[in-house]
Amino acid sequence: MSGAAVEGECDLTPMLDMVFQLITFFMLVSNFKAASIDMTLKLPVVGSARPVDTKGQEKFLVLNIDKAGDLKIYGISKDVTAYIAGEAAGVRRENRDLGPKDELPVTVVIRADRATPFKKLNVIIKSCQDNGFLKYALRAKDKEE
Amino acid sequence: MSRKRKKHGGGDEVKLNLAAMLDMAFQLLTFFILTFKPPPVEGQVSLKLPPPQIVATVKGEAAGNNANNTNPLQGVETLTITVTSTPNGAIDAMAVGEGGVSDLRNLDQRLKAILQDPVKPFEQVIIQVGPQLRYEALMSVIDVCTRQTFSDGKPLTKISFVEIPEG
Repeated sequence: MSGAAVEGECDLTPMLDMVFQLITFFMLVSNFKAASIDMTLKLPVVGSARPVDTKGQEKFLVLNIDKAGDLKIYGISKDVTAYIAGEAAGVRRENRDLGPKDELPVTVVIRADRATPFKKLNVIIKSCQDNGFLKYALRAKDKEE
Repeated sequence: MSRKRKKHGGGDEVKLNLAAMLDMAFQLLTFFILTFKPPPVEGQVSLKLPPPQIVATVKGEAAGNNANNTNPLQGVETLTITVTSTPNGAIDAMAVGEGGVSDLRNLDQRLKAILQDPVKPFEQVIIQVGPQLRYEALMSVIDVCTRQTFSDGKPLTKISFVEIPEG
């Protein structure tokens, strides 16, 4: 029998290289902004919906509205008026040259459930308009999945 | 001349213990795999939604000042679409101005006829919506509106919403 002193050692370097490459891949493709999107909402299907083209120029305010008409931010219900006023105040702080009546350079992204009644949605849109948000992107699917 | 001898013999090798680093790397990898969510494929309808203003603004002339003006729509900037809802949120009835339309296809035809008029009296559309109308039904009306173009080829993007009072 051979002696007990012989040890078999794996060379872990290639495995470590591969694992680091995988980590790099997942770090690059992870989009933490996707956390702001409520995946439980059933968006309406609209044929004219165009793919989202941000062009990297605009800032976005994503509003998830469930079928009861409640505003959800990161899964937590928020008071519409207070939340939108707070966001508008934040945008105005960043853009000090804007007047109190000027249009804010932010696009409001509305992700509402297809069953949301208009009267609930209208409260949110009116609140946005009152605070100077005039550009809107109504999210929808271009085909039923 | 003799060469300097190394202090340590060539047999001594520094070996890093990679197992701990590998453990950590696998933990990071597990985290990223578990939290990875591919973004959903979504489209959007981009709109400029100014606050609702006066439904019809007539430019220039007060009523009765110009007897030669035979076009009652001259100067009217805002086109009104009315969409009422059933109690369960579906579309009940639609109208463009005063004229009723039976369905979305009819609405599309009526809007084309009005907005393609080269006189181009309209700049924006106000949609009066029943309070119970579901967002999906509203989007189908918006879908028809955003497909419209004016006679100069510009798309219709100025749309406002007004809620029809209940009762």
